[in-house]
Amino acid sequence: MVSPAIALAFLPLLLTLIIRYRFYFVLFYRAFLVRIWKDCVTGLSREERAFQYVLTQATPGDPESILDAFDAWCSKVEFISNIGPKKGKILDRLLVEQSPLTVLELGTHCAYSTIRIARALPLGARLYSVEMDQRNAVIAEKIIRLAGFDDDTVELIVNPSDEVIPRLRSDYGIERLDFVFMDHWKKCYSPDLQLLEDCGLLGKGSMIVADNVLFPGAPKFLRHIRKSGLYEWKIHRATLEYSQGIRDGMAELVYQGIK
Amino acid sequence: MILLRLSNLNKTKHPYIFSAGNEDELTSPHRGRERSQRGEKRDGVYEKKKKKKVTSRRRERSGVDEGGVQLEHERRDKEKRKRKRNTVQARGEGEENHKEREDERKSRKTAKLGKSLRNENSQKIQKEGEEEGEENQEEETEKKPKRKKKHGHSKKEEVRPCSLSPEELEKLKEAVEERKKLIQSLRGKPWSMKKKLLTLRESQEFVEKYEGALGKAKGRKLYAYKVIMTKKWMKFQRDFENFKTACIPWEMKIKEIESHFGSSVASYFIFLRWMYGINMILFGLTFGLVMVPEALMGKPYGSIPRKTVPRSEEASAMNFAVLWDCGGYAQYSVLFYGYYNDQRAIGWLKFRMPLSYFLVGVGTVAYSYMVVIRTMARNANESGVGDDNSFNFSWKMFTSWDYLIGNPETADNKFASITTSFKEAILEEQENRKDDNIHLTRFLRVLANFLVLCCLAGSGYLIYFVVRRSQKFALDGLENHTWWERNEVNMVMSLLGMFCPMLFDVISTLENYHPRVALQWQLGRIFALFLGNLYTFIIALMDEINVKREEEKIIKFNITMWESNLYNGTGSENGTTVSPIIIQPADVPRGPCWETMVGQEFVRLIISDTMTTYITLLIGDFIRAVLVRFLNYCWCWDLEAGFPSYSEFDVSGNVLGPLLSSPCFSCRMGAFYAPCLPALNVLRLHVSMYLQCWAVMCCNVPQERVFKASRSNNFYMAMLLVILFLSTLPAIYTIVTIPPSFDCGPFSGKKRMFDVIQETLESDFPSWFSKVFIYASNPGLVLPFILLMVLAIYYLQSTSKSYKEANVELKKKLQTVTKTTLFFFMPSTALCCSCVKYLAQSYSGVQLLCSCISITV
Repeated sequence: MVSPAIALAFLPLLLTLIIRYRFYFVLFYRAFLVRIWKDCVTGLSREERAFQYVLTQATPGDPESILDAFDAWCSKVEFISNIGPKKGKILDRLLVEQSPLTVLELGTHCAYSTIRIARALPLGARLYSVEMDQRNAVIAEKIIRLAGFDDDTVELIVNPSDEVIPRLRSDYGIERLDFVFMDHWKKCYSPDLQLLEDCGLLGKGSMIVADNVLFPGAPKFLRHIRKSGLYEWKIHRATLEYSQGIRDGMAELVYQGIK
Repeated sequence: MILLRLSNLNKTKHPYIFSAGNEDELTSPHRGRERSQRGEKRDGVYEKKKKKKVTSRRRERSGVDEGGVQLEHERRDKEKRKRKRNTVQARGEGEENHKEREDERKSRKTAKLGKSLRNENSQKIQKEGEEEGEENQEEETEKKPKRKKKHGHSKKEEVRPCSLSPEELEKLKEAVEERKKLIQSLRGKPWSMKKKLLTLRESQEFVEKYEGALGKAKGRKLYAYKVIMTKKWMKFQRDFENFKTACIPWEMKIKEIESHFGSSVASYFIFLRWMYGINMILFGLTFGLVMVPEALMGKPYGSIPRKTVPRSEEASAMNFAVLWDCGGYAQYSVLFYGYYNDQRAIGWLKFRMPLSYFLVGVGTVAYSYMVVIRTMARNANESGVGDDNSFNFSWKMFTSWDYLIGNPETADNKFASITTSFKEAILEEQENRKDDNIHLTRFLRVLANFLVLCCLAGSGYLIYFVVRRSQKFALDGLENHTWWERNEVNMVMSLLGMFCPMLFDVISTLENYHPRVALQWQLGRIFALFLGNLYTFIIALMDEINVKREEEKIIKFNITMWESNLYNGTGSENGTTVSPIIIQPADVPRGPCWETMVGQEFVRLIISDTMTTYITLLIGDFIRAVLVRFLNYCWCWDLEAGFPSYSEFDVSGNVLGPLLSSPCFSCRMGAFYAPCLPALNVLRLHVSMYLQCWAVMCCNVPQERVFKASRSNNFYMAMLLVILFLSTLPAIYTIVTIPPSFDCGPFSGKKRMFDVIQETLESDFPSWFSKVFIYASNPGLVLPFILLMVLAIYYLQSTSKSYKEANVELKKKLQTVTKTTLFFFMPSTALCCSCVKYLAQSYSGVQLLCSCISITV
């Protein structure tokens, strides 16, 4: 039988762990416990709840207000891993600097980032957004239309990314992607990037932006870009969306081609 | 990355400087006229500037002047032949003219050499001539770098050293000397690497070529032999230096760690090595003067009661659990105080065992004091950098790179940390100007200290509680309780010592100090924690000592009863003859011997502490690293970069571990009562050196904020001194106040332990010596002596203070002198560039940049 004094001596350790990893505990609570609870109570999926909130709060046709509504919902009510306002600003800046004509987005989810990108695009540019999940895609479609973007600007492709990328050239007639935004499964970052390279969709100067490379993190992706030498890259350090203490990064890659 | 940038910057910087020099030359008045006027202009301001520049240029150029001199002379020869009959030149070149005539007699090529040498001489003698000549040289060398080489080559074949006159030989010798000097001072010159290499090669060639030529035909061989020998000697010295470095234990390992983790982690290992060295010496003292003599010459085991395991314990005396608890045979061996006999002299050497025991105990304390104070004094000499706060940005700019880092990942980290520190510093500066957050920081700091105090009080109370409980268990009899309950005190102490620092670390993030300051606070707090724990422990021990002494009184009485019974019984049977009664020493009743008990407690503490450290190392570092590494393949987030990650090496906790639990310092008391403690400590340090080196390299990652630790850090030393003092206190207290046990240890039967000295004085020294000693210890003599010492200390201190002031003054002067050149010659100007980039992002940043530059220049 372990004596109570020895058990008490472990109290500092417990306190340390709780204090040091408090943000992770909060995140766990908000992203999982609350979600499961609400799923049981309302019978709707998380994305549907977010859509309902946006419908009630935002002005149709105004992307800005839709983004604000999303931010408000994600920071106050529940947690959805959108790109968030802080990293979104960096994304906006990159888009304005680059002003790409052909944009590919991997992982639409709730179309938050789609709206952000579409809003910053120059006239005549086209955004292809890839989403794997059928239900999410339906909601994303609705939200995109709610923001006032038509089929010419934003095209939603409902398929897994590794199936879509090889067919981009044949099915959609894309010769070169100016800008790629990755925010889908972190495990798919590295294979998808390699697919893009192999299909020859990247030209010199094409920019690839990948979110969440530090948390939840894509180590293989980072290793690949370090090793391949095809890119000029840097990581914008920031915190995880809608949370303060968890550090995260957004990788910005510029394709240089084989020198 | 920074280094790369540096080299780029140097490339861009140097041309600028040179081109500036050239421009100046171009714009200067015509050289011929200048030559004629120079004699009068000597003291003008312009002239001074010019001289400065030229001398600096000369330094740069002396590398190429071998060829340059050649060219110059060729040119000048022609010139001279043309104006042979010209009137006297403006500069007084009588000497040169004279030599010119001499030259003409010889063949033209040897003349060239002689002249070149002479020119080098005249450079020294006549500044004016030198200036002119050099300018010419420079011009020539810049114009025709290829020809220069050719000439240098052709010259080699042409010169025949045997045919030189003694004067020329003299000159040659001087030239060779000059080259040698140049080679020696080359490293410190502010040139580009390419130029340095070129110069080095050329001058080495020159030296090698002409060195053998010196001396006359007869002495030449000897001279060459001498030269060869000096070279060999140098080489041997260099090899010997390498050998010496290789002999320093763990040097290569520490260097490797330093290259991966920066100097703060390495300084910890250096500290550990230092401790190891000291413990080795202490171990040597106790082992050589106490343990070995007793084991070899003292009475053997089983001869007297104090050297025998008592009958009641004999059955379990060899059990591992008992031995692990320092009982059984371990207790009745040289490892502990109780085994030693009070015989005044042992063996054929008449070794004074009790005296030696006492003197070794005192000597180890004195030695450790001396070492710490000497190190402190040496460090105090080295550290004189001044205040870190006044030139914040320039310090950051020029000194933040840790040049000992050799690992790209660490270099990346360091680069990131420098840039972030710049960002932070800029933010801080902005916040300082706003002046609104200071109350919040103050509040947070006070709050953090309050929380830490709460922790300290809590841990103190827990230990107090546990100790009280253990006393209760001891009264009940230890056999009735589980292993956990028996080892509760040690377990709780080491657990608290392990976890509380972690909590402090978390709390200290509230305070937002610079990591170096934060580390000191952290060390201070852990120090308080350990010391509090140790003192609680010692106080509990004191209580136990008192209990044992009570017990001792009863047993003493019982023993006299037992003995008298024994003798009475035998006496009545045998009548008058006192027959030798044979009693096994194991059967004799004996006292509790509190000294051995204290020693045992400390040994147990050390062992449990070491075990906890190693187990934490294994679990916290190794197992964690293994899990992170291999679970990462099948986990939903990045374990390596994200949540658990690999552990960092925490300097603060590791520094205080060996520092506080080492018997050398913290358990002086224990070391006196258990001579095996230094040995245990050496063993522990040895193992932990290897284990920690391995653990650091294998499963830790470099700290995120790598910061530089100054090698001459007196903070550790000051803390050591305090610990030393505080830990000797209880030892001295017990030695002075508590009488030794009556039947164990070298001092048994004496009233106090230090009576040994008196006894020795009386019996082993001649009577006059003890008389002298008594006179010398007279207060009338001691007090003036102490007064004298205090005065001497005061005098030394005041002189050192005045020296320090003088130093500060000189430093100020140096700063004002060098401030113009500082900015351009600092090698780490690259950082300045990156700083400029960050600063320039905002308007206030630009302002800051201005202030920053104004600070630097």
